[in-house]
Amino acid sequence: MVTKAIASYRMKSLDETLSQLSKEDCQLIAGGTDLMVQRKSPRGAPGRFDKPVVFIDHLKELKQIYRVNQDIHIGACCTYSEMMEHHLIPNILKKAMKEIAAPAIRNRGTIGGNICNASPAGDTLPLLYIFNAKIRLRSAKGERAAEIRDFIQGPRKVDRLKDELVTEIILPEVPEVQPYFVFEKVANRRADAITKISFAGSMRWDEGRIQDARLAFGAVGPTIVRAADIEQKLVGQAFPLNDKVIDGIVAEFESLLKPIDDHRSTGVYRKTVALNLLRHFLEVRA
Amino acid sequence: MIKFILNGKEVETVAPATVRLIDLLRDDFQLIGPKEGCGDGECGTCSVLVNQLVQNSCLIPIGAIEGAEIITIDGYCNTEQFQLLSECYSEAGAVQCGYCIPGMIMASEALLSQNPHPTEEEIREGISGNLCRCTGYNMIVDAIDLAAKKGDGLW
Ligand SMILES: Cc1cc2nc3c(=O)[nH]c(=O)nc-3n(C[C@H](O)[C@H](O)[C@H](O)COP(=O)(O)OP(=O)(O)OC[C@H]3O[C@@H](n4cnc5c(N)ncnc54)[C@H](O)[C@@H]3O)c2cc1C
Ligand code: FES
Ligand code: FES
Repeated sequence: MVTKAIASYRMKSLDETLSQLSKEDCQLIAGGTDLMVQRKSPRGAPGRFDKPVVFIDHLKELKQIYRVNQDIHIGACCTYSEMMEHHLIPNILKKAMKEIAAPAIRNRGTIGGNICNASPAGDTLPLLYIFNAKIRLRSAKGERAAEIRDFIQGPRKVDRLKDELVTEIILPEVPEVQPYFVFEKVANRRADAITKISFAGSMRWDEGRIQDARLAFGAVGPTIVRAADIEQKLVGQAFPLNDKVIDGIVAEFESLLKPIDDHRSTGVYRKTVALNLLRHFLEVRA
Repeated sequence: MIKFILNGKEVETVAPATVRLIDLLRDDFQLIGPKEGCGDGECGTCSVLVNQLVQNSCLIPIGAIEGAEIITIDGYCNTEQFQLLSECYSEAGAVQCGYCIPGMIMASEALLSQNPHPTEEEIREGISGNLCRCTGYNMIVDAIDLAAKKGDGLW
């Protein structure tokens, strides 16, 4: 079989990479852990890529983790292993990353790849929604930032122009003292298993009143589900929450969540588990 | 042209950049230690070390390894650490058909080089990306534990 070779680029710097992207439509490859499965060819043949490929996971500019005031900046090409070892990464995110795949994948897979692959089962996403993460994009022309909930539009669909590259993920205003946090992933086994349903929640209370509550569900729809109006109903409630309030919130999500059946699970199972995880989270006493 | 270091030697290839590392190793360099089990990143029998980190060679486009140091079981088997792991794997009865073993050994090395005295839990985590259809894993866990004890100071 003769395959026409496509061009490939591995530039020395971010600027050269951006300049290449401004010249032609290219396929970015970070760790390749999603792409190499999606574009697998028969043994020995190049991957099924239909445009020039640009490797980015070696770019130092995309591997920094640093803090500016209370904001934590994470380079898009940081791997899970790199983030799990870094003191600035919040513990709850590290816990979620520990549940991703297995060491070999965590040594390659990147946070930028998890976001841009935009699977509703992506395991960093529920927490990134809760942190109100911002996605920083750059092109040869300039820079912009987008809210993660606007950036992710559906499975493998993100609001990225062809000449843009995600440079950083910003967690804005991360307090020194983290609120009460949970992240739960339900899958077939502990390693190398894709999420059937995931849930992330955070809650802060002071003097017996809820100050802030955030709830996010993964793999129950085309994107992560968060509902600001429902979260708002928790603010000001007495803590611990009483059964009536909990029942009310669970009922709201019962009508909101509409998970589907697929090869990994059924809609009924997903919804039951999602609501149980939510209830368990809301029942926290201290 | 892609240049990298393979089992200690500088090598180069003109193969297209999106060819998988596993194919380059097996077909072009005749290193048939790493096996292809699933080709999807799920079984770990294709594991190699890339700059000392264990990775699945079935998921690596060769364009990404420019300048990197790759070690496969074929090169690793000349080390003292391999000798010990090999002895401990046989002592613990950790090898049956052997198909998973090249990957298991690379995962064992990656684990012990980062954590010379792992707990049982950490050993299970360390090989959690490697499937074995024969042993039921317990003997493999024992083998790694034995190597950690006997190899005090080696890692
Ligand atoms: C066996 C196995 C198990 C897995 N388990 C899990 C799991 O438990 N949880 C989970 O969430 N995921 C899992 N994954 C999926 C995958 O590993 C992650 O989504 C990973 O984070 C993808 O990152 P990557 O760098 O490898 O992405 P790539 O495959 O390189 O890229 C994915 C997409 O993102 C785009 N992209 C990447 N970086 C950028 C950037 N900086 N700017 C713009 N676009 C970009 C690429 O063009 C591509 O479209 C698993 C995969 C495998 C093979
Ligand atoms: S062949 Fe690479 S993980 Fe199975
Ligand atoms: S010994 Fe047969 S697969 Fe592990």
